[in-house]
Amino acid sequence: MIEALISAKAIVRTFDNRRVLDGTDFQLAQGEFVAVTGKSGAGKSTLLGILGTLDPDFKGELTVNGVNTAEATTEQLATLRRNFLGFIFQDFHLLPNLSALDNILLPAVFSGTDSTERREHAAGIISRLGLRNDSTPTRFLSRGERQRVASARALVNNPGVLMADEPTASLDEESEDVLFDLLDSLRREKGFAIVAVVHSKKVLARADRILNLQGGVLHERHA
Amino acid sequence: MKGMRKAISLWNRGHWKDYVFSQGMLLIASLLLVFFISIGLGVGNILQRFLSSDLPEEQVRVTPLGVQAGFFQTERGGSEISDAILDSLSSLPQVERIDPQVYAHVPAYLRGLLGGRNYYTDITLEGVTDAFVPDSLLAYTDWNYTLGDSSTKPLPIILSENLLVLYNAGFAESNGLMGLTPDGVIGLECRVNVGSSSIASLQFPPINVRAEIIGTSRNTALFALAVPIEFVEEINRLYLPESEHTYSALMVTAGKAEDVPEIVRYAEALGLSAETRRGIAQKAEILVGVVIAALGALAGAILFAAVASAIHTLVADLKNRSYALGVLVALGTKRERLVSVFAFQIFLMSLLTTVSGGLLGCGLSYLVSTTLLNLLPALRVAVSSIAVFPIGWLSAGLGFVLMASTVSAWFFFRRILVTPVTELLRR
Repeated sequence: MIEALISAKAIVRTFDNRRVLDGTDFQLAQGEFVAVTGKSGAGKSTLLGILGTLDPDFKGELTVNGVNTAEATTEQLATLRRNFLGFIFQDFHLLPNLSALDNILLPAVFSGTDSTERREHAAGIISRLGLRNDSTPTRFLSRGERQRVASARALVNNPGVLMADEPTASLDEESEDVLFDLLDSLRREKGFAIVAVVHSKKVLARADRILNLQGGVLHERHA
Repeated sequence: MKGMRKAISLWNRGHWKDYVFSQGMLLIASLLLVFFISIGLGVGNILQRFLSSDLPEEQVRVTPLGVQAGFFQTERGGSEISDAILDSLSSLPQVERIDPQVYAHVPAYLRGLLGGRNYYTDITLEGVTDAFVPDSLLAYTDWNYTLGDSSTKPLPIILSENLLVLYNAGFAESNGLMGLTPDGVIGLECRVNVGSSSIASLQFPPINVRAEIIGTSRNTALFALAVPIEFVEEINRLYLPESEHTYSALMVTAGKAEDVPEIVRYAEALGLSAETRRGIAQKAEILVGVVIAALGALAGAILFAAVASAIHTLVADLKNRSYALGVLVALGTKRERLVSVFAFQIFLMSLLTTVSGGLLGCGLSYLVSTTLLNLLPALRVAVSSIAVFPIGWLSAGLGFVLMASTVSAWFFFRRILVTPVTELLRR
């Protein structure tokens, strides 16, 4: 039996006595692209936060790359996020005073793993995403450009799982295609899995599985 | 280290102004702290120096009430202490010894060479016993002198340092003369002329004797040029033979220090003024205390403002960037790595800034001290520098500034680090 990259069982997350996730189960296999859909406020971002080990305040069992998160230290979880997970946040979470390249390399710089190879790799991703590799601070970039910088940052560490919260929300159709063509290409090349909150039908059509979050529980949905 | 520099460079990009401002405030706080400690303690020392007394604990200085002993009492009249009062005090069982002071009621002047220039000044001679001669001088000084000795030895003079201060602050400055220090006057030879001065002269022909300043004294009982008491009594008898024998002041020595209050009560009952070391010290302490407290309050207020501003800026800077910290943690930066980066940024840089501020404060204190001493020669007599640099106090003060600012920032930083990432990202 192939071990799941991410395995979540009976996840419960409560906000102000409201159960946003109510016994959610989730499995992610290697190389798989799982799309998560749901109405606004259904808890999609909350689910991604928990799966991405950003939110430890939940009940249930979560295993990421074989690590039981309940037993892991904060440092071990940080290592997991840095080496195994890539994040494309809904609000990008870029540092506005830094250039695209510096934003992309920021985790590596702070982790002391910055290197020439990594810079070249980052520059390659920037180029493939059609971004300018200059010193312009990201606060001066368009929303679409910032989305692509966030995507490049998520990919630079060659993650095992890419977690994306509405990665194409700010992109036009053409840019959406460019991003997912790249993701598909890299996914085939590197073999990483994707968990993405998406609404675009074109993107949903690329997914291996579609899960709809409703009433705090994930339901398999056919494309 | 290279990675650390890059991390700090990225972290501060777009925030250099805030960072430099916070470090600037820290620099100013350190500078002001050192300046006020240095100058404040220095001023305290000067005050202590001027107000302190060599008066031993078991001695009482008795003077006529309302008369400042020694000041130009060259004319007869006014209240003085009679032999009867001296006898009355001597009869007290607590009194071990009485050393009288007698002022010459005869005009006199002093002439000599000072710094290669002719020097002349009217003087008051103050006759004292060897009780007023510092012990260090008594070992090799003969404090006995009469007119009969004038051909064989110079008249020994002990100069009051209070007089020296008055000379420097007033006469020397207004006449463009060089200031004098205690060490500078010892050994000076001169001529003392008794019987006439620039403002008065007596019928009897003046007497001129060779004199030498053999030492200085900080005894507050001395206000003039102290010479052996036999000499003063001799010239008083010579020039004013009809006058009653009186004393300008009495230095009463008690058998035990505990007996001093009883002697003070007795002297005051006789209508005299009695001053003790404790009384002088208390007055000095109050004055010094008030000055130090005022300086301290001013320094404290300025320091508080500077430290509070440095803390506020450091904390506000971190608060503004809690979101960025959240991003770093979300992307897998280990907290221990962040701790080391910020330890460098907050502690090491603040330490360098504080030390730099301290050094600048020392420089400023030195500059102010040098300038004031150049402007006020009288101060040069009392001290060689107004600024003092007590390493312990300065280190403690700088340590406080450093700890107050960095520990506050550090606590805030630790608080951010334990905040859930999702919450930091929402800010």
